[in-house]
Amino acid sequence: MKKLPYFLLVAALAAVLAVGLAACGGGSSSSSSSPSTSEGGSSENEGSGGGEEAEGGGSEGGTLKGAYTSFPDYMDPQISYTAEGWTAMRPVYIPLLTYKAGSEEEGAEIIPGLAKELPKVTNGGKTYTLFLRKGLKYSNGEEIKAGDFKYAVERAFLTNSGGSPFYTDIVGAEKFAETKKGGIPGVKVNEKTGEIVINLVSPRGTFENELALMFVAPVPQKTPDEDQSASPIPASGPYMITKSEPGRGWTYERNPYWAKDNGKQMTEIPSGHVDKIEIEVQRNQSTQVNDIESGKLNWIFDPPPTDRYQEVKEKFEGSQFKEEPTISTYYFWMNNTVEPFNNQKIREAVNYAVDPAALERIYTGQIKGTQQILPPGMPGYEKLELFPHDVKKAKELVAESGVKDKEVTVWTDTESPNNDAGTYYQGVLNEIGLKAELKILNADNYFTVIGNTSTPNLDTGFADWFEDYPHPNDFLFLLNGENIQSTNNQNFSQTNNPELNKKIDKLAEEQLGPQQEKEYGALDKAFMEEAAWAPYGTRTLALFVSENVNLENIIWNPTFETELTSIELTE
Amino acid sequence: MSPESEKQGTEAPVPNGTGASGAGSGIESDGARVVDADAGDGRQTGGPWAIAWRRLRRNKFALFALGVFLLIVICCLLAPVWANNVADTGPNTTHTLEKLHEGDEVKEVVEPSGKSIGPQWFAAGGKFFLGADGHLGRDEMVRLLYGGRSSLFIGIVAAVITTILAIVFALLSGFYGGWTDTVISRFMDVIWAFPVVLLSLALGIVLAVGGLQIGPLHLKGSSLWIPTLIIGFVYTPYMARPLRGEILALREKEFIEAAVAQGAGPARIMFLEILPNLMSTIIVFFTLNIANNMLLEAVLSYLGAGVQPPSSSWGTMISEGFTALYSQPLLTIIPGTAILLTVLSVNVFGDGLRDALDPKSKVRFEARSGTADTEAIGPV
Repeated sequence: MKKLPYFLLVAALAAVLAVGLAACGGGSSSSSSSPSTSEGGSSENEGSGGGEEAEGGGSEGGTLKGAYTSFPDYMDPQISYTAEGWTAMRPVYIPLLTYKAGSEEEGAEIIPGLAKELPKVTNGGKTYTLFLRKGLKYSNGEEIKAGDFKYAVERAFLTNSGGSPFYTDIVGAEKFAETKKGGIPGVKVNEKTGEIVINLVSPRGTFENELALMFVAPVPQKTPDEDQSASPIPASGPYMITKSEPGRGWTYERNPYWAKDNGKQMTEIPSGHVDKIEIEVQRNQSTQVNDIESGKLNWIFDPPPTDRYQEVKEKFEGSQFKEEPTISTYYFWMNNTVEPFNNQKIREAVNYAVDPAALERIYTGQIKGTQQILPPGMPGYEKLELFPHDVKKAKELVAESGVKDKEVTVWTDTESPNNDAGTYYQGVLNEIGLKAELKILNADNYFTVIGNTSTPNLDTGFADWFEDYPHPNDFLFLLNGENIQSTNNQNFSQTNNPELNKKIDKLAEEQLGPQQEKEYGALDKAFMEEAAWAPYGTRTLALFVSENVNLENIIWNPTFETELTSIELTE
Repeated sequence: MSPESEKQGTEAPVPNGTGASGAGSGIESDGARVVDADAGDGRQTGGPWAIAWRRLRRNKFALFALGVFLLIVICCLLAPVWANNVADTGPNTTHTLEKLHEGDEVKEVVEPSGKSIGPQWFAAGGKFFLGADGHLGRDEMVRLLYGGRSSLFIGIVAAVITTILAIVFALLSGFYGGWTDTVISRFMDVIWAFPVVLLSLALGIVLAVGGLQIGPLHLKGSSLWIPTLIIGFVYTPYMARPLRGEILALREKEFIEAAVAQGAGPARIMFLEILPNLMSTIIVFFTLNIANNMLLEAVLSYLGAGVQPPSSSWGTMISEGFTALYSQPLLTIIPGTAILLTVLSVNVFGDGLRDALDPKSKVRFEARSGTADTEAIGPV
């Protein structure tokens, strides 16, 4: 009798051991990380595939490891206004309307997001009616309500978001922007039917585009009206941010309610391939490249550093590296409200003195020189060359202006080669007779600092602008003086020409057609004749991924750049 | 102050080395006067400075280090001469699109790929002697020389500031004791409690953005004085505390009592009795401080809280070169070597100076050299 239990014990131990060994071995098998079993449990895949075979040779599941050079301005859909932030939050927060996950023209197509269908526009273009899909949930299980959209619009104003000027045409929005009280009467919702009616003061030709921006992505109404970068807001998209440490990084996991509820209705929005995404802030771009080469990282947001760009391009183009054009403008803003840049002659002189060819070299060929506000590829673009490089002419203009040895501060950020561009620009200003001092700010908060009009010595500096949507108003509104804000200001030059403001406003009311494109082109010229900015180029960006990432299938959206949901890991 | 009390006053720090003869050991009375008399037993006598100088002269390694340091200083002082007459460019002048003609060969200062020209030595008449820096195509040699001026300025001036502050605080604290000592010592403790780099980094970042306003005096964020003042300030406790300790010991000596008995006031006792006895310690601290300051300046500038671009310092040059470390390591190695040589030479010289000034160092000196220090006076 005694031997039997002993034998049984040994047999049981042997069985447990066998199961344990089998489990260890199975960790790398292809069946361990299907999306449905991913919740909290697939991190052992660590940057490798190992899930279900997907179309195109990729596989489902695994953990994608990525890096940014700096933390986004905000990790908050209502406030973030940078490519970094939008790329990061694209798979997390879905607006009522959204852009198709596609490249080039396909990526500019507006499709319904949380709304059932595209809006019905009535009342001469002043009323937009949409219906929220039913049964949608946030990642915390809370139901998504029509009122969440209304709150999102109000929250954009409450947080003084840089994107709030897009929505000032909503009835009562302008008053709300001032008082921050009483809500916005122009947005009416019916929680039972999910109906959302938006009334505008005047028609707005870009409003559909603007409804597809992250600024008005619905969020729970209990979300505080302050920056939530460190406390991620519940997600409505395929991924949720589970941890966010400003300055260090953040992590995504699959939104458990996407597969069950939201994703079933929003079939045009991809669910993503990996189960988990870990993004770290790695300030050293050369280390990022090394980590991609060694497979420690799978994807990097920023292109390889200029120091290694050519080497990476030559070695990996086609297999792990590809260049992507962007619709963007790099420029030096000049504060039109302060001396000496309130003098048009000085602004013209700067435009003559800045040499796009030199800046092309500083950016190691990653920008193509331009001297206008609208970039190539944008409707309404017509090539302008009002200020061919001429330092002598620039000096003459400075002499004519009567300005001499005026002290100015040049602002730029720490990211290479923007810092070198700032240094170059400072040299140019000194050469034409100003006394320029350089201030280089950390890229994490550069735009926040220069977007605060109370920051002292906001004279001139570097800035760039990537399209929010394929409409020329998206660039020209930056120069509309009516949009100058005390914080999160995007009109860094504080340009305010009432006549041109009116033209922008008028054109914004109309649907974009050939005539409007022509007029936008004329507006571009009018602003450049005033030398409101000193634009110097349009950017080409690059995508560099590890060997085990399917480069071919990655979607580069003109607005959101890399679609994180399109990255899949190969086995 | 009577000569006797002055002599007495100097016995405290140097007595062990000069104990055979109280006479002639007064630093302030004999100063640099070399008393080269024979004591009659084969040993040479002289004032402590003379003895220190003789010891230092025998330390060839320290003298070589001094030579290297002076050479670096002279080269940096001649930066404008090189810039105007040889390189024909300024430290911040960009040459992004320029071409260099070397005989029939035409070279681009910055290639379209962004890579800048390497060292040309004298092939282009001294232009781009060490090549160009990164995408902006600035002359690396000119920036190195000007950068050295900044780094040396900060190193030396900050050491002066530290020394002055440390002497004042240590004298007040050590001499008066009581509440004065408590307040000053706790203040020093507060500064000491912060890691030097973190404290200076925090101050550097804040002041680099907003500048410094002290009454009517305004320093711009880009001013070299900002990192200089910060470095001078943060190192003060590291010098003040040991000095205070020495002062506490000196305060109890007979020559101080004698001075008090003679009616000397506190200022006179502090500055004419105590301070001269601290000179050897101060000189050694000062020298070593220069090296530490230069290293801290490099760290701060590297992190963006020291010398502000486009002004160059060896720290900013390392920082700028670091972005091209992969393709052009020389841009980092060159300023790094300059820092290494300067700091090493200052440290080696400072070490030699300490050996020369510290009477207790005889044992170490003998042990190292393997010979008896025949010029040393008196037993150790």
